[in-house]
Order: sequence, then structure tokens, then C-alpha cells
Amino acid sequence: MRPLRSTSLRLAAAYAAVFAVAVAVLAVVTVTTTRTALRRELDRRIQAEVTALVQEYRIEGMEGVVQAVRERDSTPGALNYGLQGPHGEPLVGRLADVAAPVGWSTQVIRETDDNDVDHVRVLVVSLWDRRLLVGQNLERISRLYGLVLRAFVWAFFGVILLGGAVGLALSRDVERRFAEISAAAQAIIDGDMARRIPLKGRGDDLDAVAATLNRMLDRIGALMGTVHQVSSDIAHDLRTPLTRLRQKLEASLRAVSQAERTATVEAALQDMDAILEIFAALLRIAQIEGGARRAGFRSVDLGQVAAAVAEAFAPSAEEGGRRLEFRSEGSAFIHGDKELLTQMMANLVENGLTHTAPGAVIEIGVAAAQSGACLYVRDDGPGIPVEARGRVLDRFVRLEHSRSTPGSGLGLALVAAVARLHDAEVSLDDAAPGLIVRVSFPRRLQQLGGVS
Amino acid sequence: MKLLLVEDDEETAAYLRKALGEAGHVVDRAAAGREGLMLAAGETYDVIILDRLLPELDGLAILRTIRASGVKTPVLVLTALGGIDDRVEGLEAGGDDYLVKPFAFAELLARINALARRPPPQDAPTALQVGELRVDLLKRTVTRGGRRIELQPKEFLVLEFLMRHAGRVVTRTMLLEGVWNFHFDPKTNIVETHVSRLRSKIDRGEAEELIHTVRGAGYCVRTPG
Repeated sequence: MRPLRSTSLRLAAAYAAVFAVAVAVLAVVTVTTTRTALRRELDRRIQAEVTALVQEYRIEGMEGVVQAVRERDSTPGALNYGLQGPHGEPLVGRLADVAAPVGWSTQVIRETDDNDVDHVRVLVVSLWDRRLLVGQNLERISRLYGLVLRAFVWAFFGVILLGGAVGLALSRDVERRFAEISAAAQAIIDGDMARRIPLKGRGDDLDAVAATLNRMLDRIGALMGTVHQVSSDIAHDLRTPLTRLRQKLEASLRAVSQAERTATVEAALQDMDAILEIFAALLRIAQIEGGARRAGFRSVDLGQVAAAVAEAFAPSAEEGGRRLEFRSEGSAFIHGDKELLTQMMANLVENGLTHTAPGAVIEIGVAAAQSGACLYVRDDGPGIPVEARGRVLDRFVRLEHSRSTPGSGLGLALVAAVARLHDAEVSLDDAAPGLIVRVSFPRRLQQLGGVS
Repeated sequence: MKLLLVEDDEETAAYLRKALGEAGHVVDRAAAGREGLMLAAGETYDVIILDRLLPELDGLAILRTIRASGVKTPVLVLTALGGIDDRVEGLEAGGDDYLVKPFAFAELLARINALARRPPPQDAPTALQVGELRVDLLKRTVTRGGRRIELQPKEFLVLEFLMRHAGRVVTRTMLLEGVWNFHFDPKTNIVETHVSRLRSKIDRGEAEELIHTVRGAGYCVRTPG
């Protein structure tokens, strides 16, 4: 560990320093205010005593004042008093030998027993031909704020110590968490793709960051899986058409007549187009699975899209001796990509057209339900065996009996990809007879206004 | 026509140059982005064929730059296979049409011809006429020499598309995009079925055929000769 380079420790030190400065400023302000307040309070007390003694003089005369000074001077905790003759000669009281002018002043008094110097705040008034002195030793105030000051010094060091200790503990903890994240990242770099950052379960911000990073890693893992899957699919399933293409090109070299050569080259071009189509379909599926198209989602009426697809394919279906029917229960708005939804429905309809015998009826329909919108394509053909239903949605899966029909085995994989992009579920069921493919779109809050 | 081809691949460029030359076009070729931009902005062309991926400067950047400087030459953008958002991006950047690589040469040629002679947008005809075949775009009616022909809505759209490009080849893909707004290639013979129905309604029993099939390319509406 490199303590001084650790971000959290630096932060802790900075906080401790800021707190220490704050305590120091607070100390200065408090001490100054306390001192001023104490001085003012003392002055008020002295003033009150003088007023009381002057009152005493008016009622009891000089004898009363002498009596009062004597009494009060000997009371512990009270102020100090003194009475002097016309020329300042001491008469009675502890302050009697202090030479001070009339009015407020602070006098320096040398103690008799030791050499200490005391500061005394004193108010002197004239009573007839005498001088009355009332005062208080300022050492008491100094002692008081000395205590306050000392308390603050302790607090100052306490804050630095405590702040430092807590900061150190916190920084250790944070540092350990970061080290864990770093270790997980390093492990992934080194090839352990399944490694994830451990969560503490405290639900704090670092846990949240770790959870987000883990989700990101999951997503990257899924994408890498797709890429891997696509490349192995390509390697596996393009071998046959590429071989055929090569054979045709070789045959064109051996062709004896111009007509034969042209025919084989044209056939080769058709093979080439079929291969490119597979490529395009694979890339399209991969891109759809990448999820970037979600950014362009708009409100789409499934019923309208299905109607357009049905209208486009009906004449061709008729030509092939089949019937394509469109059934709708009004509009069903979802949030989605119109182009991809169109292609999805076209694929489902074509699937129905290619896997049924002439005379079949294919029905495409849209139903709006409380739980969302549902699109279905039903045919009365041979259907798909239960055990194969999950498989046909994968890439390049072609069931035995359809091997002879043209197609890449990617049609339903694209349907599945588009459905996943829309958070929709694809289900294949027995339509007795035939197959019914349902795509169920979940209802979303923003669609509520759109369903009529 | 005078064409500008901005394409970095030597082999593709050489092939296209030769084939377009044989089709009667004069082709300038730029191999990199900056040269392409200079030619596109400086010279006058009938159509610009622009590859998206280029050295130095991306095709879309060139397109945006020349559009911003007021060049209105029709641009055909060549995009990579499988880029499903490329078309939208290309059109938004100011492209007039797009074509996915690899493509059949006949497709490219048909699209170049369609672009070059595209009428100015403010000129909106109310009727289209080829020989004695007349399409009234306001009343949505079709007549051939006084004979009224009833068409299904999509059949009408197919005919309208063909008539707007009268004398030029219209490919299957152009019809799929223009009539159905399908930007994928269905296995089903949608286009063939519609054209054959259209043909039976328009050309059956007539001495002259107006809807022609161009082998390996597409369809063309024209008077014979």
C-alpha cells in the first residue's frame, strides 16, 4: 500500500485538516466573545454595587456605608471594596490602599506576600468628602478563559487524531474494495471471462458500481457468445453452398458450348446471391441482438403492419394455391421498430407459405389484450413436433422434412431476435391441425395512451 | 452521363469504370476521401456514386460537406452488407438513394439512371402517359386507349412507380422499397406476382406490350421501338 498516494487517505487527511482549522477559528471566536462578555458582566456588577452603596449612603449615611463595606468585603465570592478619606488615606476595605482616579480604571496591584501582580478593575465615586472604591480582581476572568482555551487545545488535537484514525480506517476499507475490483478486472484480462466482482451486500455506492460493472460484463459476455456462435455457424453452414459454388465455376471452365457456360455461371451467381443473403441475414440478426435499434423505437400499430404484410403476400399465396387471411381486432400499439416488425411478420407468413401444401389457409392476426398486444400467424399445415419447437428459433436449424425447400434456416432466428429486441415472447403451439406462432408484446406504461 | 465514382478498392473501381463506360457513361474516379470531396465540390456531375468507407474522409462526411455547400447533384451511397441503420444515416446525410454492397451491376445501373433523370421535386405531374396508357394520379384511374382498367391499390402503386420511371429499368428491389417500403428481400415472389397481374390487365389482348421484363435486371415500361 502507498498511503500518501491513496485517494481516500488524502481525502481523510484533508478533512482532518479542515476540521482542525475550524476548531481553531471556533476557539478564537469563543474565547474573545467569552472574555468580552465576562468583562461587561463584571462592569455591570460593579456598577450595581456602587449604585446600591450610594443608595445606602443616602439612607444610612456614611456609617451605613462603612458598615456595608466591611460586611461585603468579608463575604467570600463578593466584589472588593474600599473607602478612602479626602486625600486618599485608607479608611476601610481591601481596596482602601489603592490609588485610583474617579471613574473606571484598571489598576495594577502588587501582592504583599509574593511578587505576583494582580490586575483590578475598579470604579471610584465620590461620596461627600470620601472616595468609594468597588472592584474585582481580573485574574478570575483570565483563569476562566484560560480553561476554555485549554479545552479547545485538547479538542484541536482530538479532532486531528480522531479524523486521522477514522480516515485511515475508511481508506483501508475503500482501498480493499478497489483492490478487489482491480483484481477481478485483471483476472478477466488474463482470460477468466466468468470472473465477477464480489459484492459486499451493504448496498452502498461501491456495491452499486460493482453491480453495474458485473452487469456490463454479463452483457459483453453475451455479445461475445453471439459473435462466437455466428462465426461457428458461418464456418459450419456456409461450407455446403460455397462448395456448390466452386463446383459450378469449375463446371463452367469445362463447358463445351457458350450456352452451357453461360448457364453454369448464372447458376453460380444464384448460389453466390444465396450465400450473400445468408451473410446479410446473419449480420442483421447479430445487429438486432446488439440492441442498438432500440434507440429508434416509435409507436407502431401492429394491426396496420400485419394488414400491410397480408396485403403484400396475399396475391403470391393465391398464386401458390394457398389463402392468406388477415384478422384484426382493431389497433394494437406497441413501442417498436416498424421496419423490423414488418420483416418479422413477413418471415412468419413466408414460413407458413413454404411449409404448407397447396390448399392451406394461413391466417395472420393481431389481438390487443390487457396484458399487452399479441401477434399470431396460424396455418393448417403439418405443424412442428413438440420436441423441435424450442430448437427452430435458433440459427440454421432446419427440420428434416424441410431440407429440400429453399431457405437458410435463419427466418425464425430473425423472428426470435426481433421479438427479443421488443421484450416479446415467441411461442409455438399446436393449432390442431397446423402450427400457431404467437409473439406476445408486453404492455408498457407509455403505450397506455396509444391503445384505442 | 458524367459520373463521379468515389471508391477506394482498385478492383471494384476498375470493374465499375469499365462497365459504366460500356453503358455509355463517362466516369471520374477518386480513390480517397479528400480527392472525392474536391471533385464532388468542384466539378459538375450528373450522379455521384459514393462509398461509405473511405481513407482520409468518411463518405458521409463528404456528403454532408457538399450538401452544406449547396451541391444538389444526386448521390447514390454504397453501404456495407448488413448495416441496417446505414440506409437511414445515408439518407439523413443528404443521399438520394443507397445500395448495399455487394450488388448486381444491373441494379447499380438502374438506380443511376433513375437518379439522374429524376424530375425536379416542385414539378408534380397530375397524370402519367406512356403511349396510349394513361394514369390519372388525382382520380386514381387507369385507361388504355379509352378502355378503363380497374387495378388493386398495390397494382396501381406498382404501375405508378414504373410509369414515373418510364423508359428506364426498374429493379425488383426498387419496387420493394418504393411500393411496399420493404427494406429486406422476401423469398416470396411478391413483385413478380404483382407485375404479372398488372401485365395481364394492361397488356392482354393488346397488339403492343408496354410492360417489359429486362432479363437479369427488372422491368421497364416503354412504347415499342
